[in-house]
Parts: sequence; structure tokens; C-alpha cells
Amino acid sequence: VTLAPDLIHKSRLRQALIWGRLRLGWSVESTFRLLLVVLLLVVAATTDGIFTTQSMLALVNSAGLVGCVAVGMSFVTFGGHIMSFALSSTVGMATIVCSALSEYGLGIAVVGVLAVGLAMNALQGFIIGYFRANALIVTIAAASLSGGVAEYLTSGQTVYAEGAVLAPLRAKMFGMPSVAYVFVFCLIVAHLILTSSRLGKRVFMLGSNARAAKAAGIRIATVTTATFAMAGLFAACAGVLIAGRYGAGMFDYGADYNYQAIAGVLVGGNSVAGGEGSVWRTALGVFVIALISNVLLLRGFSSEMQLLAAGLVVSLAILLQGRLKR
Amino acid sequence: MSILTKVSRNGTWRATAMLLLMVFALLAMNAAGRVHLSLATVFSVLENFATIGPVALGLGLTILIREFDISIAGTFGLGGCVAIMVGSLNPWLGLFAAVAVGLVLGLAQGLTMVFLGLKSVAVTLGGLLTFGGLAYVLTGGRSLPSQNLEMALFVNATIWGVFSVRSLVAIAVFAIAAFSVGWTRLGRDMIAIGSNPQAAVSAGVAVEPILIGVFAVCATLSALSGALLSVSLSAASPSGLSDIVIPAVTAVLLGGSSLLGGAGRPLGTAAGVLILSLLRTGLTAIGVSSFGNDLVTGLVLLAVAIADGPELSTRLYELRSLLSTRSTGAPTMHRSSLF
Repeated sequence: VTLAPDLIHKSRLRQALIWGRLRLGWSVESTFRLLLVVLLLVVAATTDGIFTTQSMLALVNSAGLVGCVAVGMSFVTFGGHIMSFALSSTVGMATIVCSALSEYGLGIAVVGVLAVGLAMNALQGFIIGYFRANALIVTIAAASLSGGVAEYLTSGQTVYAEGAVLAPLRAKMFGMPSVAYVFVFCLIVAHLILTSSRLGKRVFMLGSNARAAKAAGIRIATVTTATFAMAGLFAACAGVLIAGRYGAGMFDYGADYNYQAIAGVLVGGNSVAGGEGSVWRTALGVFVIALISNVLLLRGFSSEMQLLAAGLVVSLAILLQGRLKR
Repeated sequence: MSILTKVSRNGTWRATAMLLLMVFALLAMNAAGRVHLSLATVFSVLENFATIGPVALGLGLTILIREFDISIAGTFGLGGCVAIMVGSLNPWLGLFAAVAVGLVLGLAQGLTMVFLGLKSVAVTLGGLLTFGGLAYVLTGGRSLPSQNLEMALFVNATIWGVFSVRSLVAIAVFAIAAFSVGWTRLGRDMIAIGSNPQAAVSAGVAVEPILIGVFAVCATLSALSGALLSVSLSAASPSGLSDIVIPAVTAVLLGGSSLLGGAGRPLGTAAGVLILSLLRTGLTAIGVSSFGNDLVTGLVLLAVAIADGPELSTRLYELRSLLSTRSTGAPTMHRSSLF
């Protein structure tokens, strides 16, 4: 079959685009993303007071906390479940448990919190995987349930930690807050799990095509349970850090982390449909949002404006994943 | 087929049967003196219906065509804020503006899905965050009081003992939706899309316009409901209204809808909303605290989510064959899930 010369000529631009994409890994979307990042960096660099220690510490502190939850959220997104609405409540519950257990020492408190976070979310994952129930609905229900349990346990009061037991959690090492180290640790662990373990491979397989994964003999219930357990584990890490920062625990401390975490995952360029992605992208997304918030703050915009900006950036990130119909 | 099987197979009938059971339970409790039922109780149930109903109806329509609108909380809150802010000029203009904003946002989301080929959950997730942020920016993060108390009195006034303007509006939108889904070609097309999108396309159903229209209707209904609630409370808050998602989703699933699409009708959703309202009224009447309410809501939602799981029947079958020592392979039903 020979194409008419006219047709070949018309599609030369498209051929060039395809060549660039195949040989150089270049695409319109990636260029657009790069331009946006450059724009953000230029705006940031021209903002007064962005390079002060104080501003940088604030950036690291907020990005680190959101980052831990976002790393957990990445597992859920990569596994094809879009997002979990129960990570906020995991964080809130973790702060309560951490403060309540602080009288037995820091080690027990941390282990207890991680166990609670893991168990809460593993149970949700089991229900989702075993019955193939909808992840969004199950996690919404779990968030409501754990809110009720937290209210019952604390009667809506703040739980104060024992003395200075949690003080090491807000210590600084080499000028960086402990949040930064925990976040980097979580990031590396999550990256290793996702790239070098059987679980990681299965998470991605399940995310890209659940029916094919099942046909390939993957036990969906087990993998989904593990996926959500991981998400709970990393969210609980953020809860420990928050309890350390305030020296207290309250369910509402977790309030906005669901949305901030999924924002980080999507702004980093991970596919909302699951099946692919990397936690490094998630970390990048979290930092981009934190940087935008910081720039807006320093330029005198209200905190409400920062919320709207985050929403718009997430929408843009989602729109960039679409394909224009030609 | 016995009448019991018939009722249990049809989502709307099942929901109606549950609703009747609820009503009998409440009446029995009333007779036993545990709760005190009066016209005021019916009024409060209907007020609850008016708040959750339209949102659940819109969400139910998106679920019917195998999509999901997660931005309802955003449009609900934004509608309330717009209604109060514009309503300071003229309350009717405020309501109109809220409905118009809902319509525009819904259309925008629907068009985005169609022209960028994106999943509805993804697009509406962005919408949820953006609309929520917009509500915060508009109100400056504060709760906005309304000066116009006459409008609030008008909206809250009882009509024929148990109704209010709000609940009549809710009943009207349900009636229109029930007619459109049950008796028009549009409704048949929607059910066809939800049951099997590819087959619907082959059969010549105009899938894309219907998708855009359903999301426009859903956003309009939630903005309208948020606006009416804010007018009735004489206040709008960007955050305080965000607990609408849980009751709305629960009501829709209780009403016989399935996230696999094609199932559930507006009347079933109405029954689901009423079940939930009665449950809340009953719980409050017997003095359950707020965490008890949270727990019950969460458990009900969890139960309906499990009941909606496509592999529930397989698991039950496995369980039964385990118990009866006969080892037989479990039948699996494959139906591509929504997400």
C-alpha cells in the first residue's frame, strides 16, 4: 500500500512529533510541565524572603508531613484505586494513639501507632480486595467509622502526651528537622518496595489491569490488603511526627491530608488511573505545591487563595493526562 | 417467582420494603413509648430529605450511567456561598446565581470528560478541590451570615403541616427525574449507557451529550440544594457543609443503585434518602450521641459497599460450599467495574 504524497506531506509534523517521542522521550506534555516548573522557579526566585532559613524550614516541615501521607497515597493510586479517603483519619488516629501510648516510652508509642495505622488500612484493603468493593466508598465509610471511634475514645478532647517523651521527634539534626529525615526514609523504603519487591510489581499489575492480574494468578485480596496496609503505615509515620510537633493528639490534626496527599501524587505526574508512577514524582509534586503555597504566602495572598491554587494545579495536572480528540 | 424474590431482585422495591420496615419499627417504638412521633418529626424527616435528596438524586443519575461525581460536596458548598453572597442584593437573584453556577460547573466538567477522554472520578476530583478552594476564597474562610431573614422564614415555613418550600422542591425534582428515567427515551438511553456503554454506542445512543447533561444536572441539583440549605439556615460556610457526601452516597446505594451502572431509579434513591433520614431521626430520638451517629452511618455505608461488591456472591458461594463439605468451583461473574 502506498500513501499519496500529499498525505505523507501533511503528516510530516506528526511524524516528527512521534520521532521525538520515541527517540528522545520528548512530548508536548513533558515540555509543558517543564515550562511550568521553570515558571514556578522564576516566580519563586523573584519573591522576597524565599531563601531565608525560616521560609525553607517551613517548606521542609509542611512538605515532609504531607509527603509521608502522599507516599502512602501513591500505593493506593498506583494500585488503581484512585485515592483513599481514610488517610486523614489514619493520621488523626495516629496522633491520638501516639499521645496515649507515650507514657510507655517513645519506642512502644511509635510501634503501637504504626501497628494501628497498618491494621486500620489493611482491613479496608481486605474488604476492597476480597469482595471487590469500591475503594472510594469503603474508605469514606472507614473515615466515618474511625471518626466515631476517635470521638468515643477521646470524648472530643485533646490527648496530651506524657512529659517530654515525644520531644526527640521535634529535634533537629545537622540543621534539618526530623521530619525531613523521616520523609526521605519513607521515600526510599517506598521506592524499594515498589521497584524491587514482588509486592511492588503486583501493585502495578493490579493497577494497570485487574482482570489480567487475576488471570495471571495474582491473589487480588492479598495484594490489595498489602497495598492499603502500606498506605496506612506511611500515613501513620506522619501522625507520629505531628504528635511529636504538638506534644498532643487530636483527630482533627489529620484534617486536610487526604486532599493534600492526592494533590501531590497527581501534580507529580502520576497517572490517576493507576498502573504506573513513581514515588519520586510524588515527592516532586508535594514540593511543587508546598513551594506554590510558600510563594503565595510571601507575596501576601490569603491561605484561602493557597487552597484554590492547589485545587487549580491539581485540575491542570489531571487535564494534562487527557488526550485531545482530534 | 414468589413475591419475595421479586421484591428482593428489584432495587427500588427492596428499598421501599426497607423503608416500610423502618416506618413500622418507628411506629412500634412510638407505641412502646420509646420515641415520641408527631407531625414535627415528619417535618424534620422531610427537611432532612430536602437537604440530602437532590444531591443524592444527582449522584444517583451519574451512577446510573456508570460514572461518579465526587465534586458534589464542592458544588453543594459553593452553591450555598453564592446564594448568600449574591442574595444580599436580592435573595431570588442569589438562588438563580447559585443554580447558574452549578449548571456551568457541571457542564464544564462534562465537556472536559468528553473532549479529553478522562474518567469522571478524575475530573470531578479536580473539581472538588477547585470548587472547595473557590468557596473558601469567596467567603474568606469565614461563615457568612445572611441579613435577609424574611427569605429564611419563607423557605422554612410549614406548608400543610409537614412540608416546607425546600421539601416540596425536592419532591418536585424527584418526580421530574422519575418521569424522565422511567417513561422517556432519554431514561432508556441512560440505563443502556450504564448497563453496557459499548452496546449503547452501537445501538445509536448519543452517549456524549447525555453524559454532559447528566453531570450538568447533578451539579445543578447539588448547588440548588446547598443554596436552599444556606438560605434556610441564613448562613453559608465553606467547610461546614462538606458532610454531604457520606449521606448522599449511602442513600444512593441503599436505594438499589450499583456502582456497576445501569441499576437504580430515582424513586429508589428517594426511598434510600428517606431510610437514612428516618434512621437519623430514630437515633436522635433514642438519644444516641454524635459518635454513635458517625458509627452507624459508617457501618451502613460499609455494608452497602460490601453488598455492591461484584464478588460478594462468589464469596458467599465459597463459604456455603466450605460449610457443606462439597468442594465445587465457585462461579465467577465478570463485569467490568466502574474504575
